Amino acid sequence: MEEKEFDLAEMEKETEEMLKINLLDEKKAKFTRTEGGFLSLKTEEKDYPRVLAVRMFPFTDPDRYISIRTTGEHSKEIGIIEDMKSLSKEVREIIEEQLSLRYFTPVITGINSIKDEYGYAYFDVMTDRGRCRFAIHMGGSDVVHLTETRIIITDIDENRFEIPDILQLTPAERKKLDLFL
Amino acid sequence: MELRIPLSEKNKKLLPVDFDRVLYCAPYDIGEDGKFLRDSYLAVSDTGIYILNEGKLTKTFKIADYDTFKAEVGVSCGILYGIPKGADESGAQIIVKYSSSHLARYAYIAKGCRFLVEGRKDRVVSEEYEKYCPKCGRALPGTRTCPRCAGKKEGLIHELFEMMSPYKPQLFVIFILMLLAALTTLLNPEIQKHLIDDVLRKEEGDIRLAMLCLGGMLAMSVGIAVVNLLKNYFCAKLGSVISMDLRKKLYSKIQLLSLSYVNERKPGDLMNRITRDTQRISDFMGDTFCNLFTVAIILICDVAYMLFLDTKLTLISMVFIPLSVFISIAFRHNIHRRFHMQWVKDDKINSDLRDVLSGMSVVKAYGKEEEESEHFNDTADDYAKTQRRNETFWAVFFPLMQFMMGVGIYLVTYFSGKSVLLGTKAPGELTQFVNYTSMMYMYVGWLSNMPRMLMNLVTSVERISDVMQQEPKIADSERAVEHKIKGNIEFRDVTFGYKTYEPILEHIDLKVKPGEMIGLVGASGAGKSTLINLIMHLYDVDDGELLVDGINIKDIKLANYHSQIGVVLQETFLFSGTILNNIRFARPEATTMEVIRAAKMANAHDFICKTPDGYNTYVGEKGYNLSGGERQRIAIARAILNDPRILILDEATASLDTESEYLIQTALNRLTEGKTTFAIAHRLSTLKNANRLVVIDGHGIAEVGSHNELMEKKGIYYGLVTAQLEMQGTPATEAIA
Repeated sequence: MEEKEFDLAEMEKETEEMLKINLLDEKKAKFTRTEGGFLSLKTEEKDYPRVLAVRMFPFTDPDRYISIRTTGEHSKEIGIIEDMKSLSKEVREIIEEQLSLRYFTPVITGINSIKDEYGYAYFDVMTDRGRCRFAIHMGGSDVVHLTETRIIITDIDENRFEIPDILQLTPAERKKLDLFL
Repeated sequence: MELRIPLSEKNKKLLPVDFDRVLYCAPYDIGEDGKFLRDSYLAVSDTGIYILNEGKLTKTFKIADYDTFKAEVGVSCGILYGIPKGADESGAQIIVKYSSSHLARYAYIAKGCRFLVEGRKDRVVSEEYEKYCPKCGRALPGTRTCPRCAGKKEGLIHELFEMMSPYKPQLFVIFILMLLAALTTLLNPEIQKHLIDDVLRKEEGDIRLAMLCLGGMLAMSVGIAVVNLLKNYFCAKLGSVISMDLRKKLYSKIQLLSLSYVNERKPGDLMNRITRDTQRISDFMGDTFCNLFTVAIILICDVAYMLFLDTKLTLISMVFIPLSVFISIAFRHNIHRRFHMQWVKDDKINSDLRDVLSGMSVVKAYGKEEEESEHFNDTADDYAKTQRRNETFWAVFFPLMQFMMGVGIYLVTYFSGKSVLLGTKAPGELTQFVNYTSMMYMYVGWLSNMPRMLMNLVTSVERISDVMQQEPKIADSERAVEHKIKGNIEFRDVTFGYKTYEPILEHIDLKVKPGEMIGLVGASGAGKSTLINLIMHLYDVDDGELLVDGINIKDIKLANYHSQIGVVLQETFLFSGTILNNIRFARPEATTMEVIRAAKMANAHDFICKTPDGYNTYVGEKGYNLSGGERQRIAIARAILNDPRILILDEATASLDTESEYLIQTALNRLTEGKTTFAIAHRLSTLKNANRLVVIDGHGIAEVGSHNELMEKKGIYYGLVTAQLEMQGTPATEAIA
C-alpha cells in the first residue's frame, strides 16, 4: 500500500511524466529474460523484476510501438520501443517471446469446412498453429473486416483468428466463407 | 464448469499419482512453440501440478515450493504461472499457456492452487456454464444442458407436454379439426373421379349425379376452408396463450433469481428468452403444430389409399421422393443463407444509421457530412445489390424447384396415361391418382422442414426451461427468521467477487453501530458499490460472515430484510406512473398524509405542487420530465416513507447543481438521522456528517476513522482530500483547518 504524503509538486511531476513519450533503446534499458520465461528490465532509474510488452497497434503495426509497462492493477508505461528492428537480435527475440505470451491470433491458411446449424457456424480450419475447430454465433458481429480483404473472426470463447487476405483463399474456400463476408 | 476433466486411461497411467487424488484437471492447448497442442492436460493433486504434453509427462511442480499461483489473461489467450517461495516477480515461472477457450477454467484452477498453498481443504467449484456440449461438441445456446443431447431424454418432451397440459380441451378440439381437415382433403380427388368417370365420360351424363358431384366438391372445398380456418384460429390462439403464460412465468422467475444470474448473462439474452423464445413456441403452435397431425394423417392415408388403388404405380411414383426431399432441403438451406446475408446487411445499415444520427452534432461540428453520406450510400448500395440478387434468385429458382419437386407426377401421368389408352384404367382414376401423387409430394416437402422446426422449438424450450429450473442462489433458508433490524452490522473476514476466482473484496472486517453513518471512500472500481451490494444482500459472501444484529444475514427472511432497507442512488429510477405511486413504491398502504409528510421532509413537496398535476403527475419514461435533483428528492421521499433501519446512499448528491444539492443534503440529513447509513461519495465534502470514514483500496479496508483522525494520519484519505481541494484552487492547509 502506498502511504505517501500528498505533495502537489510530486503530483505535477507525475502528470508531466505521463505526458512524456519515453522512447527506449538498449542503451537506456537493459532487457533480460527471467529464468521462468518472463521479461525483466533495468533502466537508469529503476529495476523492474517483471515488465509487460504491449502492442499499441496490434493490427496495423505489430512490430512497432511496443509499450513497456509495469505489471499489476495500476500498470504504468515505462517507455516505448519505437521499432523492434532497431533492437539487437537477442533483445528482439526475448521481447517477441513476451509478445507471443500475450497475443494469440492464429492465422487461417485454409478452410476445410464451415457448417451452420441452429444459430452457430462450425469452422474447421487450418491455421499457422495447426488445425483448429471452433464455433461462432451466426448473425452476430463475430466476423470483423479490418480492411476489404482482411478479417478477424472471434469464436464463442473469444478466441481470435485472422485471415490476412481473403483473396489468398481458393474460390471454393471463399464460397464457404461467403455468408460472413 | 467442470474443473476436473476426466482423463483417458492412457493419460491416467502417466500421472505419478492416482487419478483419485487429482483435484483439478484441465486441457491446455498452446505449446511452447506457439502451435496448437492436442491431448495435453494439466492435473493438480493436493501436492503437485503435473503437465501432460501429447502423451508424455513433461513437467512436475511441487505446490509446497510456491508462494502463489496466478492465471494471467492475455489477448485471446492466457498463462498460468507460479511464484516460488521467497522470490519476487522476476522468479515467476510459466506453467502452461492456453487459448481463450480455457481462460475461465484456469482462473478457477489458479484459485484452487492458491487454496492448496494456504493449506485450505475446501475445493474451488465453478457455477459457470460450459460453452460447448461435452458430449456432442455443439455450442450450447446459453444453457446448462445441450438441447440436442437432452432432447433425446424424456425430459424435454415431458417439458413440452407440461407446458401444454393446462390446455387439454383446446387440444382435443384442435385434434378433431385436424382429423376433419385430413378427411376433407383426402375425399376431394375421390369425388372428382366419380365426376369424370360416372358423369362426364358417360354417353348420356346424368345431370343429377353431376350436380351431386359438383355439390360434393363445393361442399368439400368450403369444408376445407372452414375447417382450416377454425384449426388455424384455435392453434394460433392456443400458441399465444401458451407463450403468454410462459412469458409471465419466465418474467416472475427472473425477478426471483439472484442478481448474479441476471448479471452473468448479456442483457439481451434474458430479454430474448422472454420475448423471442416464447414467440417461437407460439409460432410453432400456429404454423407447425396445427398442420403436423393433419399432414401426417393425410400422408399416411394418402399413401395407403394409393397402394390400395395401384401398388405398382404407387411405388413408381415414389421414385423421386428422395430427390425432391434433397432439393427441398438444399433449396431451403441456400435461401436461408442468402436471406441471412441480406438480414446482416440490413442490420449494418441500421446500426450505421443509429451511429450517425446519435452522433449528428459531432459529425456536423467536424464538417464530416459528406464523408458520412458517402459511407452510407455505399452501405445502402451494397444492401440493394444483395436484395436484388436474392429476389432474382427467388423468382428464377422457386418455380424451377417446384417443377423439380413434382417430377414424380410426370412419371405417374405417363404410366397411368398408358393404362388409360390401353383401357385398363378409367380417366377419372388417372386424375385421382395424379392428385394423390401431387398431394404426397407437397406434404413430403413440407415434412422435410420438420427437423429444423423441431430443433428450433427444442432449443427454445431448453432455453426457457433453463431459466425455470434455476434455483435462486439467494433464497430463504429453512432457518430464516423475521427480524426487526436494530442497525448493528458486522463484516467478519468477508471475501467476495462477482466471479469467485476474481475477488473484489478480501478479508473485510468492520463493525458498525446502530445509527452510525459510514462514509465509503476509494477509487472507482475499488469495491465500494460491491460492499453495498453485500449489505443489501443482493449477493451472498463467498467467505466469512456478514452479521446483522449478530444474526447471519443469510438467516433473515429476504423480503423482511429488504423491506427495512432504503436506497438512494446516483441515477434515480422512477417507474412509469404517478409521483404518488413512485413515493409509495415500497409501502403501497401508506396514507396520503404520510406521503405528503415524507415529500415535505425530502424538500420535494414544493416542486411537486408546481407541476400541473401535482402528486398525480405522470412520470417515467414517457411522462413529465423531472430534473435530476427532483428525481433524487422523490427517491428520498420514497426512502423516508419506508422508514428503513439501514440506509444506503450511493453517490446521492453527485451531478447536481449547487442549489438542489443543498436541498438534498438537508433532506438527507433528516433521512439519515438515527439510521445506520452507508454513503458513497466522490465529493468528499458531502461525507462531512459521517461518523466514520472507511477507505477501500487494494481489495480491502485501508483506513478507518473520523475525518480528523484520517487527516492526521496523512494516509490515502489525506491524499484524496488535499488533491480535491488543490483542484478547486483552495490551499490545502487553509481548508483543512
